[in-house]
Amino acid sequence: MKKQEIDLNKIQEELEGYIEPNMNYCCQCGKCSAGCPVVEAYEYKPHQIISLIQAGQMEKIINSNTIWLCVECDICSTRCPEKISIASIMNHLRVATWQKNTKKDKNIAKFYKLFNFMVRFFGRSYEPGLIMGLNVGTGRFFNDADIAADILKKRKIKILPEFVKGRKEIGKVTKKYQ
Amino acid sequence: MEEEKIKIAYYPGCSLNSTSLDFNVSIKRLLEVLGIEYEEIEDWNCCGTTPAHHTNEQLSSALSARNLLLADKMGYDTILSPCVSCYNKLGHAAKIIASEEEGLNDFELEHKRQLVEDLQEMGFKLKENYDFKVYTILNFLLKHRKLIKEKYREVTQKSGSEPPRILERLSVACYYGCALLRPREAEKFDDIENPTSMEQLLGDVGIGCRKFQFKTECCGAILSLTNKDLVLKLSRDILEMALDCGANSLVVFCQLCQQNLDLRQSQINRHYKKDYRVPVLYLTQVLGMALGLSEKEVMLDRLFVKPEI
Repeated sequence: MKKQEIDLNKIQEELEGYIEPNMNYCCQCGKCSAGCPVVEAYEYKPHQIISLIQAGQMEKIINSNTIWLCVECDICSTRCPEKISIASIMNHLRVATWQKNTKKDKNIAKFYKLFNFMVRFFGRSYEPGLIMGLNVGTGRFFNDADIAADILKKRKIKILPEFVKGRKEIGKVTKKYQ
Repeated sequence: MEEEKIKIAYYPGCSLNSTSLDFNVSIKRLLEVLGIEYEEIEDWNCCGTTPAHHTNEQLSSALSARNLLLADKMGYDTILSPCVSCYNKLGHAAKIIASEEEGLNDFELEHKRQLVEDLQEMGFKLKENYDFKVYTILNFLLKHRKLIKEKYREVTQKSGSEPPRILERLSVACYYGCALLRPREAEKFDDIENPTSMEQLLGDVGIGCRKFQFKTECCGAILSLTNKDLVLKLSRDILEMALDCGANSLVVFCQLCQQNLDLRQSQINRHYKKDYRVPVLYLTQVLGMALGLSEKEVMLDRLFVKPEI
């Protein structure tokens, strides 16, 4: 799939239409941001994301690191007094902009690409390939080298990849979405 | 009259097959002890987990649903998927497959139709109705609590049986992590903010647990591969809180939490100049040992931080 033009109005309509119709009940109490485990690393906090959507400033959101650093732990959604599923909003923002030309957290984008490719190729995740590929891909060659010896000593990783017999069929379908 | 044997399909998932072999083996041994028959889903594939779910939900559903249909081919509708991420993805796919078209909005309808098309492209002939029941290890064990209690009675009544020394030394805090009950689609079988399922199960085998305030805090999950500093901080907070609560070990049921807290504990120590030595055991290892399995059988030696005896 090639990088496509981005239609911000469409994303906003989808969000307000069926992903989270309750969004406009947000009273900016900030409970979501208070509970969020990674909030300190965000450019915009969860409650600010909601208010940016309401103000139609989608451009800022889709180019922020917030949507990619969100670990989808769902604290925000479960504590929201208006039961707004903020985690679903975040996920829709990710899915809607994944193929688009936006600013993303580089490491995370590389990780997702590599992981999805491995599943397409092997049918399963292949951890040694994933970790080494990620280290090379992100230029952090010695990342986690300190625990690599521990892992090998405890035989806690499978050195060789496993191939799923049905990987051709899986590959055919998954190729459409990557 | 002997009760009918419980038979389930088992979906280990990629992590349990590799970096969390100890979790996988301790689950299998525990199921055997409880007399539950399981069969691994033949030719199972990765559920796609976070990378698929965060980039294309159709991809996530198609990957997960293939495993369900493979289980169906083998004659199972009950699937045990211990990994919490797999459990959520498989459970979500099961809901989509079972959903009636009338109740769906346009978006959901389109999603379901595309999923059916993808599954047909993978060579499946779809039946009209499916009723998959997907369990993770915690709600599965809760459902079969009676078996655990019976087995425990049997073990403790044997003459001369003493509880394993290692369990007497443990003062545990139960850590649930975030992905079990909170996701929108997840079955709410316990309290979201203060779950007690693990305490109940451990109580059944005579193990008391400390009060623990960080039961459902997030460990940073898969950010460990891309934004490690965040994970080290979040996991450190969890370890620190466990010690503050008077515990000397943590019990978990998620292999990603376990990795972040156990394997990365040495990194946390180096990063924060600390000297934590908090063993992080799997629930199935602890239950297994209480029900008579040896340390070796539950692969306790594979933990990075060893429990001191």
